[in-house]
Amino acid sequence: MAGTLSLPDSEVVQYLCACKKWNSIYRLYICRRCFKIRCGDCVLHEVDSPYCPNCLENMPSAEAKLKKNRCTNCFDCPSCGHTLTTRATSQMIPNPDDPGKSTPKKMYYLACGFCRWTTRDVAIPDKPIASGAWEDMENPDAARISTLLEHYQLLAQKEKVEKERKKYSRRRSHLMYAASMDKYGLVSVAAKRKGLISAGPNPTIKENEEINIKTIKEAVTVEEFPPLPDEIFTEPIQLTKKTSISQRLAMSEFQPSEAVELYPRRKHLLIRRSLRCKECEHNLSKPEFNPLSIKFKIQLIALLYIPEIRVVPPGELKYKKDTKIVLTFSNPVNTNTKIQFIQAEGNEGEKVTAKIELPKKELVLAHRDVPAMYADMPAQQDFKDDSSVVSFRKANKLGIIFKVTPLVQEGDVKVCFVLKHDYLNTAATLPSENEEPEIVWLEHRVTVNLGPVTSSK
Amino acid sequence: MPLYEGYTSDKNVVIFDFGAAYTKCGVAGEMCPRCIIPSQLKDQKTGKIKQIWEYNTEDELYENLKDFLFILYFRHILINPKDRRMVVCESLLCPEIFRETLAKVMFKHYEVGSVLFSPGHLTAMLTLGTNTGLVMDVGYNETLVIPIYEGIPVIKALQSLPVASKAIHQRMKEMLLSNGKVKTGNEEYSLSDKPELLTEEILEDIKVRCCFTTKWDRAKKIHDVTLYGADISNLPSPPPSVHYPLDGGSILVIDGTIREQVCEVMFEQDNEQVSVTTLLLDAIIQSPIDMRVELSQNIVILGGTALLPGFLHRIQMELLDLIKQPRYSNVLALKKFRYHQAPAKSNYTSWLGGSMIGSLETLPSKSVSRDQYTESGKLSDWCNLATVGQS
Repeated sequence: MAGTLSLPDSEVVQYLCACKKWNSIYRLYICRRCFKIRCGDCVLHEVDSPYCPNCLENMPSAEAKLKKNRCTNCFDCPSCGHTLTTRATSQMIPNPDDPGKSTPKKMYYLACGFCRWTTRDVAIPDKPIASGAWEDMENPDAARISTLLEHYQLLAQKEKVEKERKKYSRRRSHLMYAASMDKYGLVSVAAKRKGLISAGPNPTIKENEEINIKTIKEAVTVEEFPPLPDEIFTEPIQLTKKTSISQRLAMSEFQPSEAVELYPRRKHLLIRRSLRCKECEHNLSKPEFNPLSIKFKIQLIALLYIPEIRVVPPGELKYKKDTKIVLTFSNPVNTNTKIQFIQAEGNEGEKVTAKIELPKKELVLAHRDVPAMYADMPAQQDFKDDSSVVSFRKANKLGIIFKVTPLVQEGDVKVCFVLKHDYLNTAATLPSENEEPEIVWLEHRVTVNLGPVTSSK
Repeated sequence: MPLYEGYTSDKNVVIFDFGAAYTKCGVAGEMCPRCIIPSQLKDQKTGKIKQIWEYNTEDELYENLKDFLFILYFRHILINPKDRRMVVCESLLCPEIFRETLAKVMFKHYEVGSVLFSPGHLTAMLTLGTNTGLVMDVGYNETLVIPIYEGIPVIKALQSLPVASKAIHQRMKEMLLSNGKVKTGNEEYSLSDKPELLTEEILEDIKVRCCFTTKWDRAKKIHDVTLYGADISNLPSPPPSVHYPLDGGSILVIDGTIREQVCEVMFEQDNEQVSVTTLLLDAIIQSPIDMRVELSQNIVILGGTALLPGFLHRIQMELLDLIKQPRYSNVLALKKFRYHQAPAKSNYTSWLGGSMIGSLETLPSKSVSRDQYTESGKLSDWCNLATVGQS
């Protein structure tokens, strides 16, 4: 069996990204313009499309902004955070035509399927329609806050105008000074001709315009705060009727301390993120608009373009003893890929604990051929592999033999090398042009952790 | 005039208030934060919870803030950070390394357009519509009192005490460990056998749901016993105890004395005779004499800890009592105090002020833009004379 079954986020094989961080290939992207590996830290994350995680309804971002990123139809339980479901009941209401009789009418309320909280618990009356009837609570201080805001906005406007006026009037007064000192009236003539004096500083700002600022109502101060109720010293408290801090903070505007003041809250939206290369600003990942779709419009993840390396479990690794190990390289693209190995020079933050001898020859990874992989057809091509370097070949996988000499007596054996492979750049050329796609050689610095050294005892 | 002026008309200015315990985050012009979440991160691999303020090196803090802002932007606010403006409400005593690293993360990593660092005490004044007040912020780590006169913080009168929410938690932990009992079925054992049951979250939950700041007359009796060694029989009869469920099977019995007494840690005068309440009077004494009356008539109390039931009433009672004592009556001729009530819960009052600043047209001229930051490489700071007057 080729390769090991490793967890997709293992740290066994790590690639160096353009911002000098080591990551496993599953967390990396590749930019097709800069030909560099990018990680989550060196790409620009962008908010793409908001959607509700419950009803999976897409919401245009302008509307989402208006609704403060909350879904209009779905609600969360204020008690446990689970999604609330709408329940219908029938209620008998008096018939308007015949007051003696009553007719059934459908009424709706919200209930939590997890903690059994319902809107009836907190005395919110049932609604005659299934959705849209649940109004938000009003902030009691809204009026005061908006008067304050209006007031400050006027002040800010005034400040801005004054600043602008100062800027212009200074320049003008300088010219006026020159004009007053001018014995022969030449400067003023010149200035007049240019229209400098007569023209106002800024047509939008009138000289004597005063922004009218009404004084706002003084803030009310109090001399006393209400004391604690006496019951607190005598009555036992019921913990279940007191809200926890997370329940309070989830309703930040009201922060109720009693459970009876809880109110259903609108479900918070989630977003799909798109990623952009920070250097060339091209998209690296862009999801489909539809929240149900798991596909991407653009998906430049490294796993689809760079050969993936896995480790075949080595035998014993002993201190200062040459050992042959096999690494599996699998080709993700559907063209044959040439690979070469270069000894890593310098240090980019890796901890190398073993020497590695790399194959000198160029090797070819067969293209990825999905139907052939399932049909178990024999390889179509003959690669004339050198058995001293290649341990096995199967479909797009190639097992390559490396010689490793551990240089430590204990701890993990880590090697580092540079993987160089060719890459058919289909992005640069337009399909209409009949040019051959450009072939680029990419180099990636890779570290492989081969596991602990076997003690020599 | 920079080209981008007038950008503020679209309300995409994000306001942050990074508290030691909770971070408030929202959009300018709104009346409450979009989210108030614990200032902590969960490690994706190990699942360990990590406080963003806990760091050993600058790089660690950088990573913390980067990950934390990512959550705030892409989980809660859902606004692109790039080229947008933001406002940070900070404490005047915010460590320089935190500000600088925050600026680095914002400008270099998220490429935000501009940042305005604004003292939380000052922004809180905006929510009141006045510009003079004695502002006390009772937070998680410390209580900080700063008088603000005509919109200017009187730095020389600044008073602080490292006693706030955290101290309450610690006191509660001590008290519970010394006499807390846990019941599992019919078995009963003392909590000190299993101290690991008492996590910070549980302590906070107990505080929020069970504890309160007791009345002044009762507190005097409690202080007589706990501080001055009076006989224990002088204690007022404690409130009923609470059976607090720890997990599925065990129940922690919280004694009434704990419920009543944990918050006293803020009001017990230490060796220097300083408590949360004396901070207010000390700040008034430190202020110039012609400000004093006005400050005493405009007391503002902020911070999540001030939400404790009975806290405000207690401050009021204690102030009136302290002012009669020779220690203060010889210096201050004050008789009465008046308090402001902000149009917000006290744990996000500073944030609300930030939200107001952020919605104004003057925001661009007051904040540090990315260009300015890249040019100078650092922020101006009020305590650094070299940078004063630059911005």
